[in-house]
Amino acid sequence: MIEQLPILNLVLLLTTALMIPFTQKISFKTTKLVGFTVLLTVLVSTLFILLHVQSEGAFYYHLGGYPSTIGIEFYVSILSAFFTLFVIALGTLIYVYSTRDIEHDVYAQDYGRYYTLLFILLFSMLGIVYTNDLFNTYVFMEILSITTCSIISIKRSKKNYTAAFRYLMLNEVGSLSYLFGVALIYMVTGYLNIDLAAESIQQVWHLYPANIVIALGFMIIGVSIKAAIFPFHIWLPDAHSTAPSASSALLSSIVVKVYIIIMIKVLLRLIGIDILEALNIPVFLTIIAASGMLIGSIFALGQKDLKRMLGYSSIAQIGYIVLGISLMSSLGLTAALFHIVSHGMMKAALFLSAGAFIFLRNQRAINGFNGLGYQMPISMAVFSIAGLGMIGIPGTSGFISKFNLGVAILDANQWFLLVILIMSGVLNAMYYLPIMINAFLKDNPEKNRVMQFEKLPKVMLVPIVVLGLMIVLVGLFPNSIMSYIEAAVAMLLA
Amino acid sequence: MEVLKQIIENINYIGALALFVIGLYTVVTHSNLIKRIIGINIMGTGVFYFFVSIGNVVGGNPPIVDLDNGNLIYINPLPSGLILTGIVVVVSITVYSLSLVVRIYETYGTIDQDEIAKIIDQETFDD
Repeated sequence: MIEQLPILNLVLLLTTALMIPFTQKISFKTTKLVGFTVLLTVLVSTLFILLHVQSEGAFYYHLGGYPSTIGIEFYVSILSAFFTLFVIALGTLIYVYSTRDIEHDVYAQDYGRYYTLLFILLFSMLGIVYTNDLFNTYVFMEILSITTCSIISIKRSKKNYTAAFRYLMLNEVGSLSYLFGVALIYMVTGYLNIDLAAESIQQVWHLYPANIVIALGFMIIGVSIKAAIFPFHIWLPDAHSTAPSASSALLSSIVVKVYIIIMIKVLLRLIGIDILEALNIPVFLTIIAASGMLIGSIFALGQKDLKRMLGYSSIAQIGYIVLGISLMSSLGLTAALFHIVSHGMMKAALFLSAGAFIFLRNQRAINGFNGLGYQMPISMAVFSIAGLGMIGIPGTSGFISKFNLGVAILDANQWFLLVILIMSGVLNAMYYLPIMINAFLKDNPEKNRVMQFEKLPKVMLVPIVVLGLMIVLVGLFPNSIMSYIEAAVAMLLA
Repeated sequence: MEVLKQIIENINYIGALALFVIGLYTVVTHSNLIKRIIGINIMGTGVFYFFVSIGNVVGGNPPIVDLDNGNLIYINPLPSGLILTGIVVVVSITVYSLSLVVRIYETYGTIDQDEIAKIIDQETFDD
């Protein structure tokens, strides 16, 4: 029975998405409640899958009962079980937040469309994480790119259209490059299934090194464009800053990470470390990761708009993840996977509290935060916790990921990367700390120092507080999720 | 002579790569939004052409079982099947991007990237 749960999750999310347009006669409150129940059901079932995989080991699911040579196959390993739980847990929190926040950003007639898109988005992300088939990944990627672009352009303002169009064009170049890579892999191996293709690549790569290198180049560039890894990041600040706040949180904390999971699958499960090192790929990854870490932070320093700053900060943080992957060691991968989770939580907390500032006070400019800590203490506190996490202060999850990354770098004996890591941390402090200092220590223009809780709707406040607590809890007890990540890394390197 | 033979044997792949590069060039360099969408379509055609060429078998029949015909060599049907999906995907992307262009034209009054950038600059300057 539990073997059927992955596909049932997908079907449930897709059916919900397709049913929402037919529920216009029912009050929208009921629809939101039904959507929440569906997400909770999927959350519980992904939790069951994770527990099952932990006790019984990974399992395969064949769609339609076709053998894996010609059919589509789901591989539910500890990696996919854990990251689907991560995607759905964050997705549920953001969904709860969005139920009130969309009133600020989206026209009333578009509410239903917004949730249709949101559910298809979650559906395609789950599909990407579960699937073990290269072409199936491409199809889910395209579903994801259409829905992410439309979830940006749904705000119907001038800037959103151009941001969505630019995102769509680059996304499409990325998808087609990925597909070209898949074609080259299929040419050499004759399989689209990752396991079978990996086996035959191991046997024949000496005969066709050119094919493998070109395929890998196309696939890495394709996925890098979509994951906003440094030289291909130009679409991200516009797209993430113009989107409705809930969508920005979704895009920055989950969608980008899903593409990194594709990259991990392609690099480690399809090609394998031995071939990567023989082809010198890790060096290139290290260079783009290190330059991304610095340049993202430097651009973030110059921003005047809070959400654009958070977008540039994402580019730097994605650099950390890629740096962890590029070390090609089990320590580096552990740090990278842990940072996927911890950055997901921190960036979601930052974007959601930024959304709260915009919702209540229409405050987007960075220099307008003076004394905001008195008027919005809870959101500002969570913003500060997440900001401190980004800097890497002990007690937050960000510290654990930076610490692990530092240990992995020392283990690989590359001290200059440690210098870049520390410089990037200092730059992070330079753009996150002034906001907190202005908010808590400076007077606001009205010279009003009376502390009062913000009148934010409860459905928006609860996700923000939960995310803040999670950042601190994971920072204090990292072993609760570290055991899953270590098992996933052991599976990837086996 | 050897080179010429190589080219003739791999003409499908070379053509596909050429289409891909032409499409990429169009997407990256043109400022007209419609031309960029056309570029995406050319790129897509290049990739699909490449994929279908992989499945070709010299002297093969279309993969429809016909026992009366003595030739039992069939081409590989899997790439063609995959590409049908791919074509549907690119069509839907094209439709979505064209609808975005309609909206951009309604709000900015132009579909030229450079002119839109000028309008945006002007607006941020006015703020």
